[in-house]
Amino acid sequence: MTEGMTATARLAPWRRSPVASLGLYGHFIRLAFLKFLAYRLRYYTGVVSYTIFVAGHYYLYLALYAGRAAEGLGATVGGLTVREMITYVAISWIGRSLYFNNISRDLARMVTEGEIAMHLIKPFHLQSVMMAEAVGEAGFRLIMFTIPIMLVVVPVFHVGAPAGAAALLWTLVSFALSLVIYSQLSFLVGCLAFAMKNIQGVLRAQMVGMDFLTGVIVPFTFFPLWFQSAVNWLPFQCISYVPVMIYLGKRTGPALVEGILLQVAWAVGLTIAARLVWRYSTRRVTVQGG
Amino acid sequence: MEEVTRADDATRFAFRDDRSRGARLAWQARIFGAYFVQFLKMRLAYRVDFIIDTLAVLFSLIIQLAVLSVMFSKVRALDGWTYPQVLFIYGFSLVPLGLFNLISVNLYGFADEYLIGGRFDRVLLRPVGSLAQVIFESFNVSGLSEIALGLAIMAGAGVKLGAHFGVTDLLALLFLAPGAALVYLGVFLGITTVSFWFEDKMGLAPPVYNLIRFSRYPITIYSLPVRFFLTFVLPFAWVAFYPAAWFVGGEKFGKVALLTPLVGVLVFGGAALLWRRGVRNYVSTGS
Repeated sequence: MTEGMTATARLAPWRRSPVASLGLYGHFIRLAFLKFLAYRLRYYTGVVSYTIFVAGHYYLYLALYAGRAAEGLGATVGGLTVREMITYVAISWIGRSLYFNNISRDLARMVTEGEIAMHLIKPFHLQSVMMAEAVGEAGFRLIMFTIPIMLVVVPVFHVGAPAGAAALLWTLVSFALSLVIYSQLSFLVGCLAFAMKNIQGVLRAQMVGMDFLTGVIVPFTFFPLWFQSAVNWLPFQCISYVPVMIYLGKRTGPALVEGILLQVAWAVGLTIAARLVWRYSTRRVTVQGG
Repeated sequence: MEEVTRADDATRFAFRDDRSRGARLAWQARIFGAYFVQFLKMRLAYRVDFIIDTLAVLFSLIIQLAVLSVMFSKVRALDGWTYPQVLFIYGFSLVPLGLFNLISVNLYGFADEYLIGGRFDRVLLRPVGSLAQVIFESFNVSGLSEIALGLAIMAGAGVKLGAHFGVTDLLALLFLAPGAALVYLGVFLGITTVSFWFEDKMGLAPPVYNLIRFSRYPITIYSLPVRFFLTFVLPFAWVAFYPAAWFVGGEKFGKVALLTPLVGVLVFGGAALLWRRGVRNYVSTGS
């Protein structure tokens, strides 16, 4: 009798004080940090991967600027000198090493394998848990991945210093917002698994498309104007292009404030959108086995 | 229970085979042909997956083309290489990559599925080569889309170049593309084989895989040490640039292209020898 009572009590809607919520999700941040720490060996070769990404683009852009010099064209492309371009590439990849995570893939796996059912009966919001884990993962990445990559990439490719102390500070704030935007966007992509069951193709498209749309591979100022005005309406530029431009000192004063506010708006907007999609999707979830 | 699952012990089960070498090869080819047909039947049951995979390949292609066209809207030539030439090299690179992707899927999960999961015991019990079995047990059909799209891009770039490709060029393609695919296969087989000795916690494959996208550009844009590395150490210059140079490389690189199949055989042969040693070293987990 008593056992039956406690079981129903556990399934009742849960309420928690804000402080208790903070403690709970803070715990997930810590757990994720420790979990990734256990797999840190895998990240050593990741440092090599990121160095390869920077190196490949480094040579590509050197050839581009050298070609322009030989053809008697201007020394800046899309408002960037060759030095700034190299810095753009390096900071883009360094930033990516921080905000990157696999929320979409993990969520899709939970849905297709049925593990999602277990999360639905636990007294927390999976979206908040995954965001907290992304923060913990980013903490791990910062120490064990991003900083080692910086230590290799910055001296090897003579990466330029930030435009100033304020620019550096705002770049860090901006990349922190990138983490939220990237994670929420990734959560939304993962939610597609509720409707589509198998989203391997979508995940591949995300892998391929993300670095392009965020401006990691080519800065938007290289593109025709119609493309630039199109990306202005999308959240992707807030993941990489905005923070890197702040670092380079291309966004100062009102433009800097505008950039940060735009990021905040997307972070909040996507979080709300993800919450709504989540609520809609979990209302009609079917778990096959699991 | 005592473990008697070493590969040497497994040879006791091998049956005597008196057929000629040619007859055995033909028989093996028939077996792997049957594997492929079986796999296609399985895949066709999930047609939507195939369509989505193809769309993903197409999407990544469109992005690559967008990057290339943006680059060449800012400059006429990269280190002397024009847009159609670079485009042609890119198109060519997709053909060996598609061939490789078609048959390589099992290499990625080899350590987990075959060595730790115990599927390798079953492979060793069959009277057909273990390497061929692992390679031909699964296919990635989206490789076929890559091959088709690669050929289309080569044709488009060829028209832009105003080049006239004859029968010799077609024969060269039939000879160079599989040679380049052997280079891919050899490199990744070599990496996979390491897991016979070391559990692959380090993840050697991702950085090597990430290097592929930079092997599609003319290697002359890289510094000398990088060129040396891509030619002799991790020979990815042979998967796209050198073989494609037969068509677009002119005097300087056109002849070098012909070495591609030789490099492919050397790299793959080395990896296959390493594989044989690995199999001899194999001890089943017993699961």
